[in-house]
Amino acid sequence: MSKCDLIRDRLSEYAVGGLRGRMRARVEAHVGECAGCRAELKALERTGALLDSLETQDAPEGTWEAVRERVLARPRERARVRPRWAWAMSTVALVVVVAVAAVVMVPRPVERPVVVAAAAADEEMQMTMDDHLSTVWAAPLSDMAAVGLRMAALEENG
Amino acid sequence: MSEERDKVKELVARARAGEVDAFEALYRAHQGGIYTFLRGQVRDAEVAADLTQDTFVRAWESLARLREAGAFRGWLYQIARNLVLDEAKSGRVRLEVPASVVSSEENPSVLERATEGDGPEERLASAELKEEVWRALESLPAAQREAVVMHHVEGMGTAEIAKVMGVRPGTVMSRLARAREALREKLGGYVEVSDE
Repeated sequence: MSKCDLIRDRLSEYAVGGLRGRMRARVEAHVGECAGCRAELKALERTGALLDSLETQDAPEGTWEAVRERVLARPRERARVRPRWAWAMSTVALVVVVAVAAVVMVPRPVERPVVVAAAAADEEMQMTMDDHLSTVWAAPLSDMAAVGLRMAALEENG
Repeated sequence: MSEERDKVKELVARARAGEVDAFEALYRAHQGGIYTFLRGQVRDAEVAADLTQDTFVRAWESLARLREAGAFRGWLYQIARNLVLDEAKSGRVRLEVPASVVSSEENPSVLERATEGDGPEERLASAELKEEVWRALESLPAAQREAVVMHHVEGMGTAEIAKVMGVRPGTVMSRLARAREALREKLGGYVEVSDE
């Protein structure tokens, strides 16, 4: 492929203002020294001038009257103006979504099994455990922890 | 330019409020461009006139959806373009035609005459020659044709055209370049100059 072929491939892009930087400079330099490519560029520019000379044509007479008749006969879409309460609701919904996402996505510490024996050593913990056990004594099935402790005691006693 | 934009914004605001007179002013300002664009696409004066009506009626109905009043022109072209695509999908119009149907070779007299003695200004002013250019335009692929009409006839920039066509500005530039190349071939002798 000759240099002229390479340049001519890009001439129409150059003519419509679509080339920038080095490629543009290369085309300009070549066109400056090659009469054939310069003539081709001129032809492309004349084509552009011809296109620029085209004018818009008016729509036929009576088009506006027909449009007017139709627009007056038809309902229009109403502007979608959101009421203030809708914005308030949107804000509340957004806050809730963010809060839920934070709860779900923030990593939580891994729960460790409660070591009953160790807890018993702590007086305060012991009191809490005693309170809890006495609360569920009357209805052991209402508390899974109580059920577990009861089952463990039964196993230990054979 | 900005004064003109402000005027359009004001007219759009009034038309949105229901003023048909303001909408008529918008129609007067844009009907030529829209009709020319549609005629270039569907190549049938009657269909183009019907679609011009439809474009403005649809614009009136959905003015509330126009987000930026200053972008009215591009939005209007989008409506017109969508109507053309709907027509093409339903088979009522054909966007592409065989090149032989619109070839200027069938009637080269204007091109020949234009190259004989007229100066460039006379040639450009020739109504017949413009007809020839329109005919040459008709043979282009639809996407190139619409880019050429919006850019050269309506004076729209590549960014605005890109928005209407839903493509990147670079794609518009490339379509304009391909169209220019094809039209230069079709207009042959008229636009050629001898090597200096």
